[in-house]
Amino acid sequence: MALRETKTKLGKVVAWEFRRAVMNKGFVIMTVLLPALIGLVILIYGLAEGRGASSVPSESLPPFLIAVFLALILFVGAFISGVIVFYGVLKEKASRVVELVLSSVSAKDMMAGKIIGLGLAGLIQAIVWAVLAYFAARRFLPITLAGLSPMQLVTYPLYFVFGYLLVATLYATAASTMKDVHSGGVQGMVGLIVYLPMVFLKILVEHPELPWVRAAGFFPPFTPSVMMIRMAVTEVAWWEVALSLALLAGTVFLLTRFAAKVFEVGILMYGKSATLREIWRWGLRSSRG
Amino acid sequence: MTVLEVRGISKSFDGVQAVRDVSFAVNRGEILGFLGPNGAGKTTTIRMIIGIIQPDRGEIQFTLDGGSGEVDKERIGYLPEERGLYADAKVLDTLVYLAGLKGLSRSEARRRALSWLERFDLAEWARRKIEQLSKGMQQKIQFIAAVIHRPDLLVLDEPFSGLDPVNQDLFKEIIRELKDEGVAILLSSHQMNRVEELCDRIFLIHCGRRVLYGDLSEIKEAHGEHIVRLRYAGDASFLRTNQRIKNLRISGDWATFVLAKGVEPDAFIRNIPRELVIREIAVERPPLHDIFVAVVKGGENGTP
Repeated sequence: MALRETKTKLGKVVAWEFRRAVMNKGFVIMTVLLPALIGLVILIYGLAEGRGASSVPSESLPPFLIAVFLALILFVGAFISGVIVFYGVLKEKASRVVELVLSSVSAKDMMAGKIIGLGLAGLIQAIVWAVLAYFAARRFLPITLAGLSPMQLVTYPLYFVFGYLLVATLYATAASTMKDVHSGGVQGMVGLIVYLPMVFLKILVEHPELPWVRAAGFFPPFTPSVMMIRMAVTEVAWWEVALSLALLAGTVFLLTRFAAKVFEVGILMYGKSATLREIWRWGLRSSRG
Repeated sequence: MTVLEVRGISKSFDGVQAVRDVSFAVNRGEILGFLGPNGAGKTTTIRMIIGIIQPDRGEIQFTLDGGSGEVDKERIGYLPEERGLYADAKVLDTLVYLAGLKGLSRSEARRRALSWLERFDLAEWARRKIEQLSKGMQQKIQFIAAVIHRPDLLVLDEPFSGLDPVNQDLFKEIIRELKDEGVAILLSSHQMNRVEELCDRIFLIHCGRRVLYGDLSEIKEAHGEHIVRLRYAGDASFLRTNQRIKNLRISGDWATFVLAKGVEPDAFIRNIPRELVIREIAVERPPLHDIFVAVVKGGENGTP
């Protein structure tokens, strides 16, 4: 099959998944209605207060706060979108639409289309919330975008994108090998490893230079959260940023290849969840010709 | 003209051989009945034809417009046995999307989708969500998705299951039309009467192997003994003591029996004595159902 044909097919799958994601009631509420409501409340509150800036003394506010906020919104946004991919794949597997779609596109395109399509929807959501949070915070705190360094402006989107791809691929693969939503087991937890550093958020913010915190930044599943927070609260050497991004991107590349092969087998298997050993074997079997 | 040729394909999963050295062909404008008991390897074979999984050994060749090659997903239509659609999507959107994946433009897909929906009496459902449709309606939508791009090879896996008789007839009618238009059709079904009505040739797979393959009428000829249904008057002792018939059942004035192998109906009827008066008589080949059961239970291995 010609490469162009594959590309347009993937484009069609992406468009379809994106459209279904943004037409969803939950998405409309979370991305349009709720932010609009909050924005309205802030606006009315501001009008009632008068146009003057807030009275919070600026000395009490750490300048890195906006970067931490941004890091959190981006990270949580990427993570939640990954979880949505998880449920999307499970739902499609349960509804048995898979076989019909696979008679038109490859399993790889099906998976990639879902991840990219839902990712775009998630991106919109993250942007909306980031903008809203910024304006909301500004009503009460003397926050400006000047708190962000050019390095952050360049690398945060990269951490977001690769972080999302990592979580989404892990979750899509996990879902493809599960019997149903209720079968639980290790598969449902797999994405949480990416979330783990958030448990230690306080340590991350207070002691960003601890050796093991620095080391954690190079462990790809931890990279997006740890590096974004570290960059927010301390000076991080450029080589650390570059190396962590390279490791993360390389991991995502290898993982998607592994995941596509697991997905291909898992998505057509009904009635039981795959064991970790089976998943490992599927993922490593040689590519078909 | 052969559209699909399957040559010696085998597939095993985790050491279990699901399909062994299976070969067959489907021609333009014919319906090949694809039969087999549950777990015989039918779904695996179909998935290999569709290109969802790859055979371990063997070749699947697709011939179109004189050129041969791998299966072209845009030229096949597939109604899987595992039925499902996007519950949250609208009927027309779903059809336009699925047709788009088969290479149709949006406008063409829309036009054809609407005319098919019309044909299936679902026009007013075009803008409803799939989840609002009954199971039978969803099956029609899937059928439309399988044929909307006018495929050259159509694979139908249990198309009639779950449909009421009226809709079964509608499906049958459309399948015949597609056949007449030159589509090569592979029809898998457990409903032997439907297979007999529709199929030109059949292929029976059992335990992953081909056990029957060929012309339906020839297979019936080869496997069928004659079944005689006779309404009679007078003395039936000729039947009771006859060595050339078996499975005799008499109830009221009806006698049903099977002619032993090698006994020709004509010779048999001429030998019926005067004491046995024939009121009505019918000599039939056994239904495909009986051949299927005999072959599968008997583990028969004859391949014509």
